[in-house]
Amino acid sequence: MLGAAIIKDTQLLLRDRARLATLFLLPVIFVAVFGSIFTSRGEEMRQLPVYHEPGDRRAAALVAALEASGAFHTTRYERAEKVRQLVAEGDVLAGLIIPPEFDPRAGKPAELAIDEGAPMQVRGPVEGAISGVLTAAYVAGPRAEEFSVLDPRTPPGLDRPLAGAGGFQHAVPGNAMLFGFFLALTVALSFGEERTSGTWRRLLAAPVSRPVVLLAKLVPWALVGLVQMAFLFGTGALAFGMQVAGSVASLCALTAAVVVCATALGLFIASMGGSEKQVGAVGSICLLVMAAVGGAMIPRQLMPETMQTISLATPHAWALEGYFDLLNRPGTTLAQVAGSIAALSGFAVVFATVGAWRFRFDR
Amino acid sequence: MAILQTVGLGKDYGDVVAVEALDLTVEAGQLTALLGPNGAGKTTAISMICGIVPATRGNVCVAGHDIATEPFAARRALGLVPQDLALYDELTARQNLTFFGRLYGLSGTLARQRIAWALEVAGLTGRADSAVSRFSGGMKRRLNLVAALLHKPRLLILDEPTVGVDPQSRNHIFETIRALNRDHGMTVIYTSHYMEEVQSLCDRVAIMDHGRIVALDSVDHLIATHAAPMVEIGFEGDANTVEQALAAVGIAGPGVTVADGTAQFPHGHRLGAAFSALEREGTRLRSVHTQAADLESVFLALTGHRLRDD
Repeated sequence: MLGAAIIKDTQLLLRDRARLATLFLLPVIFVAVFGSIFTSRGEEMRQLPVYHEPGDRRAAALVAALEASGAFHTTRYERAEKVRQLVAEGDVLAGLIIPPEFDPRAGKPAELAIDEGAPMQVRGPVEGAISGVLTAAYVAGPRAEEFSVLDPRTPPGLDRPLAGAGGFQHAVPGNAMLFGFFLALTVALSFGEERTSGTWRRLLAAPVSRPVVLLAKLVPWALVGLVQMAFLFGTGALAFGMQVAGSVASLCALTAAVVVCATALGLFIASMGGSEKQVGAVGSICLLVMAAVGGAMIPRQLMPETMQTISLATPHAWALEGYFDLLNRPGTTLAQVAGSIAALSGFAVVFATVGAWRFRFDR
Repeated sequence: MAILQTVGLGKDYGDVVAVEALDLTVEAGQLTALLGPNGAGKTTAISMICGIVPATRGNVCVAGHDIATEPFAARRALGLVPQDLALYDELTARQNLTFFGRLYGLSGTLARQRIAWALEVAGLTGRADSAVSRFSGGMKRRLNLVAALLHKPRLLILDEPTVGVDPQSRNHIFETIRALNRDHGMTVIYTSHYMEEVQSLCDRVAIMDHGRIVALDSVDHLIATHAAPMVEIGFEGDANTVEQALAAVGIAGPGVTVADGTAQFPHGHRLGAAFSALEREGTRLRSVHTQAADLESVFLALTGHRLRDD
């Protein structure tokens, strides 16, 4: 009996492509995505441009200590502005400017050029490592007093982040995108449920046009999606202290674009056909991979440049770009997130057009 | 006046011909059955008539409106009772009816009146605000039926509406259909593979097999034209021996079955010769019955196989 059951379940599994993909393909995709993120970006994160006055022997000793730590590859530049520019243009995560009057005990730390709005997963390791090495080199013994060796500053070219912003500035939109786009799976499955229950035939037999039938399926879910997003961001603001640095109207517009895009993606997934089980499995895989690549699980800033470019093929990445600015950069306007909204709208149009074209009413 | 007219209506799925060429005219007030085994093409035919699936060929007119060119007008004239329980289980009976009424533009007082009437017809007035998931199978079937009545269609199409229901609910559904036909002048098309249902309910039967109508007439006329009473002999002995003995006197062919101590064949055969042949083989007879001809006999005579295998 046991042997027969094993053979039977193996035969069933071999015929179930969706389950096979979930069991074997999905983990490999995740390993590839996360592995490449940490491997490649790790190397990029070690690049540290530095500036100090020529002949500043103490600063040179500090830089040597950074190099000796093995954590950084330092490159000295002739101008402090060049170091700030490299950070502002996103070529490196951070740059170090050691002034001639460097004296942390006297309240004169080194300047760390870094995007202060970046998530703590991005800033934390870099700041911590530089701070640790500089402190050890500066004190040359056990540290007995409190002082800061680093003064993190957002370089010109990047808007200064919202003062006092916490980790929820990133956690709320990241998770809102991860779970918000799962609306697409709910939408796709709802078509299958309607077909299975037989009510689909009743809808098609009614004096209602096909496009209206589709809209009647999609619009209620889009409204649910808006409520879901309002709930998530509302909870983020009220319960976790998430702040909106830009305009609230822009946040609403961006969120509306996200919801429309997720709903259209649901139609696209539904149009691929298959049983409810297959739609569930394939849809879950697609959405998880899109979320991982798009930066909903790990900030895009941690990804290597190639992966950051690839991630722009997901709506998640564009949405998170917009949310990052709206939640972290004071004064962000609708015009500044128009690119994100346009990209999301573009995704929505493509998903809806292909979905409606491929959708089989009489399956 | 013809409420429904199909001309050369057909549907292909790739190389498979689901419906060949359906020519069917249903006059106002008629109660017509589409009778055929599973896979005969009944549901596909219904789907084309309702505009759910596009026809590969031919056309459909409902109440004078072509389903292809005037789909909304045609659909407003018909009500479909799908084979599946096409209801939202989590909603109450009233909520279901409200939604389905809206599909036909019913709202306000008129909608409330129609819903109250539909609940009464279904015998569910007292359960109007209960979730459908708490209903018995029979109650769901009754609600499934009345959900198609809210807009008072001129043509009511029921696709196997009694699958899996208890005898009491089946009788209720039959009485409802008769009353709708009699009191409201509703034209009815009833698909089934249950010969007894069709025979007791419908005055006109279209027999479908392999995607085409093989006969269309009143029940009485179909039986008179195509079927004869059957003779059933009970015997003790080997079925193969009996089959050979009957074949030897010319009792063989599609209408003859021999199995498990019972042989059936049309009444027209020579009984005396059959008995003599069996006696010569030493087969002992236990019983001899004659059965009146019915739609099963008609189907067998027209198609060479039985309506149901079970």
